[in-house]
Amino acid sequence: MRRWGLQFRGRKANREHYRAEDIFSMAEAAPGKKYKIARIDSGCRLNSRLCAMGFIPGEVFYVSGASRGGPLCVMVKGTKFAIGRGMAEKIQIREI
Amino acid sequence: MTARQITIALSGNPNSGKTTIFNNLTGLRQHVGNYPGVTVEKKSGIVEYKEFKINVVDLPGTYSLTAYSMEEIVARNFVINEKPDVVIDVVDSSNLERNLYLATQLIELEVPLILAFNMTDIVKKSGKKIDIDLLSELLGVSIIEMVGSKGLGSKELLEAVIMVVKSKKEKKVEVKYGEEVENEIVRIISVLKKQKIPTFNFDTRWIAVKLLEQDKEIIDTIKKASGPKYSKIDETIRSSVNHITSILRDPPEVIIADARYGFIKGALLEAYKETGLAELDRSEKIDRILTNRIMGIPIFAFVIWLMFQFVFTLGKYPANWLGLGFEKLSALVTNIVPQGLVRSLLVDGIIGGVGGVITFTPNIILLFFAIAVLEDSGYMARAAFVMDRIMHKIGLHGKSFIPLVIGFGCTVPAYMGSRILENKKDRLVTMHINTFMSCGARLPVYILFAGAFFPAVAGNVIFSIYLIGVIMAVIMAKVLRATRFRGESDPFVMELPAYRLPTLKGILIHTWERAWLYVKKAGTIILAISILMWILFTFPMIGNNYTQDYAGQIEETERLYQSGEITGQEYDIGIATVEAEMAGERLAYSAAGRIGRFLEPVFKPLGFDWKMVVATISGIAAKEVIVSTMGTLYSIQETDRQPDSLKTALYNHYTPLVGYNFMLFTLLYFPCLAAMAIFRKEAGTKEMLFQMGYTLLLAWVVSFLVFQIGRIFIK
Repeated sequence: MRRWGLQFRGRKANREHYRAEDIFSMAEAAPGKKYKIARIDSGCRLNSRLCAMGFIPGEVFYVSGASRGGPLCVMVKGTKFAIGRGMAEKIQIREI
Repeated sequence: MTARQITIALSGNPNSGKTTIFNNLTGLRQHVGNYPGVTVEKKSGIVEYKEFKINVVDLPGTYSLTAYSMEEIVARNFVINEKPDVVIDVVDSSNLERNLYLATQLIELEVPLILAFNMTDIVKKSGKKIDIDLLSELLGVSIIEMVGSKGLGSKELLEAVIMVVKSKKEKKVEVKYGEEVENEIVRIISVLKKQKIPTFNFDTRWIAVKLLEQDKEIIDTIKKASGPKYSKIDETIRSSVNHITSILRDPPEVIIADARYGFIKGALLEAYKETGLAELDRSEKIDRILTNRIMGIPIFAFVIWLMFQFVFTLGKYPANWLGLGFEKLSALVTNIVPQGLVRSLLVDGIIGGVGGVITFTPNIILLFFAIAVLEDSGYMARAAFVMDRIMHKIGLHGKSFIPLVIGFGCTVPAYMGSRILENKKDRLVTMHINTFMSCGARLPVYILFAGAFFPAVAGNVIFSIYLIGVIMAVIMAKVLRATRFRGESDPFVMELPAYRLPTLKGILIHTWERAWLYVKKAGTIILAISILMWILFTFPMIGNNYTQDYAGQIEETERLYQSGEITGQEYDIGIATVEAEMAGERLAYSAAGRIGRFLEPVFKPLGFDWKMVVATISGIAAKEVIVSTMGTLYSIQETDRQPDSLKTALYNHYTPLVGYNFMLFTLLYFPCLAAMAIFRKEAGTKEMLFQMGYTLLLAWVVSFLVFQIGRIFIK
């Protein structure tokens, strides 16, 4: 049986310790660069939503566009999303 | 042999091609309604296959089965409560990791599940390979490969449905969430069992997971079911959540989501070569242009302009043909039915009223066609992205711009177009300010009044009215956002789907169902309203209570003509003049006329007399009716209804200030009853009454200020 393939993995790989100064909000991300999601801190309802959309700690994403004061254009798990500034501020990221 | 009836539910991520597969399965045999109690659209259809009669229900497109939005709750409750025989999860195969997240949640629910791997042609083209058999074994569900856009795989899918229905329940794969979470799940299950909490249709393990995720719906359900015993459960959940958060540094809902992705990654590692982040593809290149910082807005403006041309310029022709058709119908009825009340009701009331609304249908069809193309191609999301910054400043969503622009043509499709806004507050504010986008039907009123009072600068005066409308919209959007629709609106997160060539079938079905809704609903309500308006303007009948002896005047005119003292032309004019005066008196005598006189004191501070009030009331039926009502009230005869004579009459009766003020009032008070009927359909009676109330109040206040302040400066 190949059941072992279903064993839970992934979590361990994401367990990294970040120093506080390395972390900043997605709103500060520069277009054309890749970042890694460090943590998300909105309410649990929105946390679930963001996770379902693929914004999960440890995930790498690409910022494909941003306009000053307007929403960001972000590619995560093969899908592109427009994310408002307010929302982006709740997602903590770090450089790869 | 009677067909065996079964129900299958289609679920899937937004943009996974779910609707295409639904259309392929059911064709035109679809039924559109709402889920009970909510405004989420429910689509279902019937397909007959072998000895089965299959009822296919199209669930709303969602990323997950959390309780984040109305759509997600509706989808989840349908799966849990209605217990469909099979759930089909439509999966975009070119984006497996993301799409299987929903599948994982369905696996957790232990429903009879089939995965429909859509768009497998894209995967093959990109040179990747999915080991379907292996993946199917790893996930414990059957997988069918499909290409929805080419209609491939529908038969195989139905075959699989029947297989699942006929077979007994097979052993399922269980998703594990890691040691820490599993321990807490066991703890919560034992507490639930010990306290003997009823779990309804839910599986106990599933409930425990949802409680850990702090799913509001489930927490509320359990709270209600357990009563005083809930404190014990609440305590357990709290301690579990704290325990997990302290050890794993993220809240349980994030840990659990991570475990689901882990489950998917584990399976995909075996059966599929993941390439990580997608490369710069075609969509990305198109986006470089369409959402460009500098070009984005001009391109959007051009697209909207094109749509406007398409809907109103092209739509003008069929609309005119329909109008002509109704004119012919009126003429026909006039010839068949003898003069009297019945003819008046048929011609003026029903054909005039309902016909006036039906003539909008071509515009509505073209509008929904255009919207369907924009939506299915993926541009609509970009439009919202481009406009979001500007619209955000006045408290609206990027997508609000589209219905607002449509409002300049006609408010009815604009209200219906507001559906593209998912957020209820965004939608309601957009609808409430849409009336200030001056619609096409108001233009004849402006042309009449501006022409009468400001003939030299009529164009500029009309433009100023349009401008005031836009300014009012911005102000009211801010006011509504700060008062009735305050509170946190949903944060702006929206998928920008890959650009796709829309299928004609999909667009036609989309257009058809929305346009039909308009004809059906608006048609029935409008019929009732038209009859009501006709009654108001017809009864009580004047009988012999004319102030002058019109019969005598007609006799006199005839006598003069017979004796050759006047020419045939003079005779025609004479008769028409008398008849026009009679019509004016009949109108004054009717309920509408009386209401006008009754309400005159209210409108006096705006500089309006009772005739203007009556015209305003008639404008409720349709704004362009104001012009013809004014004509009747000023006894402009039928044969000579040249706007100029009416303009002269108006110029002699009112000051330019009052004329301008009347235009302002016409701009600001709520649009026609057809629009209100649609408003009620889309937003409910309460919101419709609010719309009517506040626009009337606003119109009154603005006109009051303009008249009272203007009076000081203009003599």
